[in-house]
Amino acid sequence: MTGWVAANLISVLNGLAIGALLFVLAVGLSLVFGMMDVLNLAHGALFVVGAYLAAALAGGGPSWGGFLGALGVAAVIGLLAGGLLSAMTEPLRTRSHLDQALLTLGVALIVAEVLQIVFGDDPLAVPAPPGLDGSTSVFGAAYPTYRLVLIGVGAVLAVGVHVLVERTTLGALIRATVADREMVAAIGVDNRRVKIAVFAAGSLLATVAGVLGGPVYGASVGLDSTVLILALVVVVIGGLGSVKGALVGALVIGQIESLGRALLPDLASFVLFGALALVLIVRPRGLFGSRSGAAA
Amino acid sequence: MTEVSQRPEAVPDNVVGGTPPPRPRRRLGPVPAIVVVVVLAAAPLFLAPFATTTLTRLLVFGLLAVSLDLLVGITGLPSLGHAAYFGAGAYAAGWVSIHLTPAIPVPLLVGAAVGGLAAAATGWVAVRSAGVYFLMLTLAIGEVLAQLAQSWDGVTGGANGLSGIPAARLGSEPLLGVGYLYWYVLAVGVVAFALVWLLARSPFGATLRGIRDNESRMRAIGYSTTLYKYGAFIAAGTIAGVAGSLLAAQQRLVTPGDLGFTTAALVLLAVVVGGAGSLWGPVVGAAVVVLVRDALGPGLGGHGELLLGIVFVLVVYLLPRGAAGLTSLRPFRRRRS
Amino acid sequence: MAEFTLSRRTLLALFGAAAATPVLAACGSSVGGGSTGSSGGGAGGPIKVGLVVPQSGVYAALGTDMQRGWELWLQQHGNKIGGRDVTTIVADEGENPQTGVPAVQRVLQSDQVDVVVGLVNSATALGAAPLMSEAKKILVVTNAGAADITGKARTPYVWRTSFQNAQVAAAAGPYLAQQNVAGGVFLIAPDYAAGTEVRAGFKAAYEAAGGKIAGEAAPPFGTTQDYQPFLSQIRQSGAGAVFCFFAGAEAVRFVQQYAQFGLKDSVPLYGSGFLTEGGVLTAQAGAAVGVRTSLFYTDRLDNPANTAFVQAYKAAHQSAPTCYSVSTYDAAAVLERALAGGAALDGDSISAALGGIGAIDDSPRGSWTFDGQSPRQTMYLRTVEGTPPQLSNVVTQDLGQKAQV
Repeated sequence: MTGWVAANLISVLNGLAIGALLFVLAVGLSLVFGMMDVLNLAHGALFVVGAYLAAALAGGGPSWGGFLGALGVAAVIGLLAGGLLSAMTEPLRTRSHLDQALLTLGVALIVAEVLQIVFGDDPLAVPAPPGLDGSTSVFGAAYPTYRLVLIGVGAVLAVGVHVLVERTTLGALIRATVADREMVAAIGVDNRRVKIAVFAAGSLLATVAGVLGGPVYGASVGLDSTVLILALVVVVIGGLGSVKGALVGALVIGQIESLGRALLPDLASFVLFGALALVLIVRPRGLFGSRSGAAA
Repeated sequence: MTEVSQRPEAVPDNVVGGTPPPRPRRRLGPVPAIVVVVVLAAAPLFLAPFATTTLTRLLVFGLLAVSLDLLVGITGLPSLGHAAYFGAGAYAAGWVSIHLTPAIPVPLLVGAAVGGLAAAATGWVAVRSAGVYFLMLTLAIGEVLAQLAQSWDGVTGGANGLSGIPAARLGSEPLLGVGYLYWYVLAVGVVAFALVWLLARSPFGATLRGIRDNESRMRAIGYSTTLYKYGAFIAAGTIAGVAGSLLAAQQRLVTPGDLGFTTAALVLLAVVVGGAGSLWGPVVGAAVVVLVRDALGPGLGGHGELLLGIVFVLVVYLLPRGAAGLTSLRPFRRRRS
Repeated sequence: MAEFTLSRRTLLALFGAAAATPVLAACGSSVGGGSTGSSGGGAGGPIKVGLVVPQSGVYAALGTDMQRGWELWLQQHGNKIGGRDVTTIVADEGENPQTGVPAVQRVLQSDQVDVVVGLVNSATALGAAPLMSEAKKILVVTNAGAADITGKARTPYVWRTSFQNAQVAAAAGPYLAQQNVAGGVFLIAPDYAAGTEVRAGFKAAYEAAGGKIAGEAAPPFGTTQDYQPFLSQIRQSGAGAVFCFFAGAEAVRFVQQYAQFGLKDSVPLYGSGFLTEGGVLTAQAGAAVGVRTSLFYTDRLDNPANTAFVQAYKAAHQSAPTCYSVSTYDAAAVLERALAGGAALDGDSISAALGGIGAIDDSPRGSWTFDGQSPRQTMYLRTVEGTPPQLSNVVTQDLGQKAQV
């Protein structure tokens, strides 16, 4: 019995690690959507760009230099990609979400294909940095140290994003834009600059999540769509355009993917989308959903 | 939400019409539609077998896109799970063909019924949400059904798919040649398209357009909008089921991939590429997707998806209203010049 | 209106480009006649082969190995099979039947090939079977492992030179039973058709030899990024060993996480050979060392045919061959044997000839024969040895000849 409890506690812990990673991944998607009403289906491709960067720079063996270098390069690429995506979606601002979906999915297909051409077809692995690549004993069983660190990194980033959005002037602007874009424009703030900033920051978080997720997920063909769907599920469960929603959604999905699969092994293939359907049936706009996102 | 998008008749819903022109602007009347059908009907006489096979596939996917357009373009419900009903119809038609009879119209009717029933069973929860939440809820429903197809080995054959589906039979004659199969798919496709078109022109369709443009106003003047949306969802599911049974006849194999995310996303994008709301535009969109993926893709050394991505990006910028945007502008220009 | 003219021209260009390709512009008729003409069945005439392998998607790496195997055989034999000049048409199978079946249709109907070779995905192979039967042409499957392909859905036109899912897994059953694993073996394979066949095949063979299954798990296929819940289950079951089936990115993640969660040293990991075959082994690195798998081939096999094969392959590609290369290499070898006897190029003649070719005794995998239409071949227990990045599957034990299950 104690073995059963301990095993499930490990699943809970693991759910936190996965949830932390999902939060970093999904919060950018949620803000970009909530703020500028842009459905960015290239978000998963950005994550995979980060993952492949990690594999290229840190794939040879555990090394702090490679790992931190990958983080830095990924951050820069994320910023640039976000700016580019922001510019690309600018002409579509009066058009429907479906046009944005078409554009960004087209971009995602191109990026995925280019990555496959550059990095080859084989799945690649990313070792955790030295010192974190081992295991720690948790509840009497070995647990990868890197994942424990991931929980901490996720928590720090969550607090950072929360403070930024809830406590700073920029955050106030972001929240105001989520609530009423026309109003913010009316008081003389250039919407486009806010959009570029948020898009760049959101994309940076996605590529950084790719590097951080490297030691857990690796880098492989097809990972982009899996990750994109996970991120969409997270933001929809939490409610679009809300940092709190993204955090809660990430933690819920982390537990569903971990504890849910441990407790319901026979239904493992159904739990993710079953949970999504359930949440949307009970709360049609997610757990913390606002008005935005209701229109297609 | 403002009311700027109020445009019940501003965009011609159909240029390839089948009835006499109600307005002088639509001078062409049924002529283009007849020409298109005649050209399509004559195609196998001139085309090589693979071209005909591709055209058959294109018609099947095109009909699926038309059925989705009833939801996306006419009713304003962007579904990312529409392939589920396509797949349900395909599995049902395939199963019936294997275990009972492949005689037309049995698999067709069963496919339509199962597609419609599946839509009826899942649609009542879906239509209560809207926008991106509708998108995600339909995605969830579609993925759960795809997983069911994956797990329910005994009936669906699991991941290996339902294979060994016999050729559709007309009377006692199996439709083996690619040309005959094509004509069967074309005949059903034209009839189903006409049905959707009539539905979109009917008072019911007008109400759906009203809901698309301003749901709260429709509700205010006494329409049970949820019920109408539910009706549209079931109708779309039924037509998707018909398309599914054509898939079973054409591909002779049904796999979970046919009702999964990729198929659902591609057909939704086909509707956008073609121009949502025009009904015929999505057929053109479907044609683009099928041509790129199935006809050109296999010969591109693995870069079919790259081409598809480039096409999507180009369409967004160059054809703001999809392929359908082209012809809707034509009468306008003529009048000016 | 400038926008409109531009748009229309673009659209026309788009369709023009599509229509101008030989694919659709090819003239002819699709009515009557039924089967299409081929490049002549007379002895000594050329032969056209459609090589349908994944060039995109998650199986693209397998496709590369398969194509290399095919090309190496042709290169070693003057580009002739059975004395006929070979034209190879490569088509992209993609990752599922939605792209794979049209690719087969394309080479059959548009390129009018005489023989189709390749296919990774079992559903695609099952979907291609009726096309082959109706065209009366031969398909040589060089990977797809579903039992039905040469079993329940058998047609005389579909042959296989690779393996059967259950055959590979079953080979390890009696071996593990003999090891008397304390606590029994835990069985884990993804929740889809191939995974189910592996679980059933291993379980039957292992239990028949007196083994006891400690538990089973079926992680969702294609969407499982993290195996922790299942690894916890394994730990709790008290199993003394694990037998698994994973391929591609899933194989990399499973083997790595198996080590990260500390199971590697306490519970030995066994699996179907695809777990550690080819590119995935490099990515698994140290986590794979000591993993034991059953398979019909490893590049470390010690026989003259394999030594020559590996040497030629490495010289051409700077990487070692895999079971995927060998299966496709052998597809050319069996076609050579069938056609050398003077068979015509129609499916019935080749099928009859393939039934009588006897042992393929010069294969890099060792001698094998057709049992029904799928190989009866020697299975090897292989252990991953070496230091990253120089890892390979070393033969630990010969598990004997195995027929298809």
